[in-house]
Amino acid sequence: MTISVPPSARQRTRLWPSGLVVPLGVTIPVASVLASFAVGLLLVVLMGAPLGQALSSFLDGAFGSSYAISVSLNRAAVYSLVGLGFIFANRANLTNVGAEGQIAVGGIAATAVALVPGIADLPLGLSFVVPTLAAMLAGAIWGGIAGVLKARIGTSEVISTLLLSFIAVWLVYWCVQSEHLLRQPMTSAATLPESLPIPETTQLPLVTGDYGAPANLGLPLAFFLAIAVAVVLGYSRFGFQLKAVGFNPLAARRAGFSTRQTIVVAFLVAGAFGGLAGAVMLLGDQYSLKAGFSSGYGYDGLVVGLLARGSTVGVIATALLFGFLRSGGISMEMGAGVPAALVLVIQGLIVVSVSGAAFWLDRRQPAKE
Amino acid sequence: MIPVDDAGTMVVNRHSVADALSFHGVTKRFGSFAALSDVTVAFRRGEVHCLLGENGAGKSTLCNLAFGIHQADAGEIRLDGAPFRPSGPGDSLKAGIAMVHQHFSLVDDMSVVDNLILGQARGIAWRRAFAAKLEELTTRYGLALKPFARVGDLSIGERQCVEIVKCLIRQPRILILDEPTAVLLPDEIKGLLEVVRRVAVEGCAVILVTHKLAEIRDVADRVTVVRQGRVAAQSQTPGQDIEALVRAMIQRPLEALDPAMAMSLGISAGSEVKRRAARIGPRGPDALQIDAVTVKDATGVVRLDEVTLTIQPGEIVGIVGVEGNGQSELGAVLAGTCPPSAGRIIVGDLDLTGRPPQAFSAAGMGVVPEDRHAVGAITGMTLTENLFLDRSRVPTRFGLLRRRVMREAALTMMAQFDVRASGPDVAFGSLSGGNQQKAVLAREMTRPGLKVLLAAQPTRGLDVGAVEAVYGLIRAASERGVAILLISSELDEVLAIANRVAVLYRGRIVGECRGEPGQRERIGALMAGHSA
Repeated sequence: MTISVPPSARQRTRLWPSGLVVPLGVTIPVASVLASFAVGLLLVVLMGAPLGQALSSFLDGAFGSSYAISVSLNRAAVYSLVGLGFIFANRANLTNVGAEGQIAVGGIAATAVALVPGIADLPLGLSFVVPTLAAMLAGAIWGGIAGVLKARIGTSEVISTLLLSFIAVWLVYWCVQSEHLLRQPMTSAATLPESLPIPETTQLPLVTGDYGAPANLGLPLAFFLAIAVAVVLGYSRFGFQLKAVGFNPLAARRAGFSTRQTIVVAFLVAGAFGGLAGAVMLLGDQYSLKAGFSSGYGYDGLVVGLLARGSTVGVIATALLFGFLRSGGISMEMGAGVPAALVLVIQGLIVVSVSGAAFWLDRRQPAKE
Repeated sequence: MIPVDDAGTMVVNRHSVADALSFHGVTKRFGSFAALSDVTVAFRRGEVHCLLGENGAGKSTLCNLAFGIHQADAGEIRLDGAPFRPSGPGDSLKAGIAMVHQHFSLVDDMSVVDNLILGQARGIAWRRAFAAKLEELTTRYGLALKPFARVGDLSIGERQCVEIVKCLIRQPRILILDEPTAVLLPDEIKGLLEVVRRVAVEGCAVILVTHKLAEIRDVADRVTVVRQGRVAAQSQTPGQDIEALVRAMIQRPLEALDPAMAMSLGISAGSEVKRRAARIGPRGPDALQIDAVTVKDATGVVRLDEVTLTIQPGEIVGIVGVEGNGQSELGAVLAGTCPPSAGRIIVGDLDLTGRPPQAFSAAGMGVVPEDRHAVGAITGMTLTENLFLDRSRVPTRFGLLRRRVMREAALTMMAQFDVRASGPDVAFGSLSGGNQQKAVLAREMTRPGLKVLLAAQPTRGLDVGAVEAVYGLIRAASERGVAILLISSELDEVLAIANRVAVLYRGRIVGECRGEPGQRERIGALMAGHSA
């Protein structure tokens, strides 16, 4: 699997004669999403499912209640964090496909620290901040391994991050299976292989403060970090350095920027975002570590990062779309008997059409003089 | 006389029996850019027809139309008087048109014969038959080629011969050569031109793209000057019309031409330039000392062998040599991107051996790399960003870029160095080659505390106007007391502007002499590896 996205593809096109100019970066994804939805609906009809019922249960699952909306938003928050980490590293032309593993080690670290006696009694919100920081550190180390391998011996980061993900996912299994690690004490043969639930004070606060609408702090945090990432990438010297190294490592090196340092830092940051996503999932939603904890969020977040094409706004928008899409899809399966995999088909169609359109646009660019 | 006409119009040739290939009002556009407009020209059997013009004037486009790589948008191409519309190179080859491209298209790991067979043989490849054919061609044209030698082991000149034999083996009626001498040594050029002559005498129409006036003098029967996609002048007596042809090419009186430029074009002896050379005396301590520098590559092959060279402030030292004799390694060592295996590099009084690139920059070393796309600039970033492509010079406040300061400084630099662009925020890749090079020069020459400027192949691929500007900038820096090391494969260029010339051969400096046109023969021999 090789994935590469040009770090910036800012183009503008004239859509209608009134002079209103819409960036192609907006029109193309929107058109792709609409077209993919149309195909999805067509598939629903072809499968013989009642269209109205499928649609209503889809909307119900995505937006039907404050609970449904909250779940979708939490999902979107995780996607956003992973996507932000992806575009950060991608600015240096690095492809971090290891968010799944970074989420997993983040979850392990967050659980472990949250269960340490005394952490739950920390004042000033430190009770959930400390586990969160631990998760970010774990994710950063996990990403940093790939960064050091790449910087030192040139290992392809696509391969190393992917393999590190497999390791991390199995680490979660090990942690929840072994009583010496994080498994809750076995009181009976029916004790599930999962960790103890984390203390309430270490849980990420809910925006509403109400478990009926369990939207946690993840999304506001993602918004804030999106702005931070946009500023760093667009307006800081480090962003300049990332871009220079990403476009042309030789020229960047000649200009005095260390390519090795850039690669390692980019991966530390991307990994920290993955770890943070893991913390948000565990401390804000699942409250105990179970086998299969990361369950594909890392890969979905990767797709979000890819589709955003380097834009933080794109990350948030795509994450929201995918968040609601997933929740709606699950509800559609239960309510109308349409397989939730249909949502995966729609997601796939969006990916193919957006990247296809981007490819076509890049080729269509007027030849240089 | 030549029918020079500023509007680009000329008397339309009536079709003559001798015309093998003729263009009639041909226009070719790329997007909104007209690469050729309304070109009418005829190539005759038995003649060498030179196409002269600056980079981007449309010479290559003309060749590519004849060879079928591009298709004309308007007008007509005729082959032996009949309309000819090749849809691809295959059609042209079938019609007897062969072309030697600007860059080699050979497989290094295969033998000469196998390279000839490539793309020619159908079914079974009879090596011996091809070898015999090759033998016959080499004796006929006086070439020296071993049929079973590996192409990778051949010299650049011999490889160019293989390219030509690849064409001749098809017995073409029209042979197109796109700047075939650009990479060759003086001796090799002479040999190649003889072959070209012989091919023409045998009745082939030869189209030779060049910007070397000496070649035109030696070999051309007819010259067409192309400027901005139009025919600017034609001459049937090129030997006598050289000056008029140059004037048509650059569209300026020759007197206004930079003397170094005039000399490297082969128009005047450049006495003006050389008067400077005498003026430079010792000016104190050396600005740059390269002391017994040796570089071995990853496989242990010695690329630079105890190179020792010192340059004084204000001095221009030229390094000449056939490409691949250690120039790239020397450039990388001096940029700080390749630490030498042995030896020392001292800039001013700082020993920089083994230090990172930023230390070289800080010591006052400016580098115009030989490949501006690979090392000198980042085409995907904006012009402003490229003008500030230096860690220590990016203006920041609290870690954030000061975009407005950068923009204003960029505008100043653009004005000072005549970098032409629609604005400082355009993509660097959208600039012309000349403007890209001027931007790289602008960045390197405005480096604070500049002591030494390494300019590697600074005029490669630039048009006459830009070349002249680059010479002017280099000379201005030298007058400010900057020591200049000019690495170039263009011998004439080095002779025109350097005070001193060193010849690099297989990683060693095999000779040094003053930069004077009279040294041309001697330097040429040294470049080819003959000891003086």
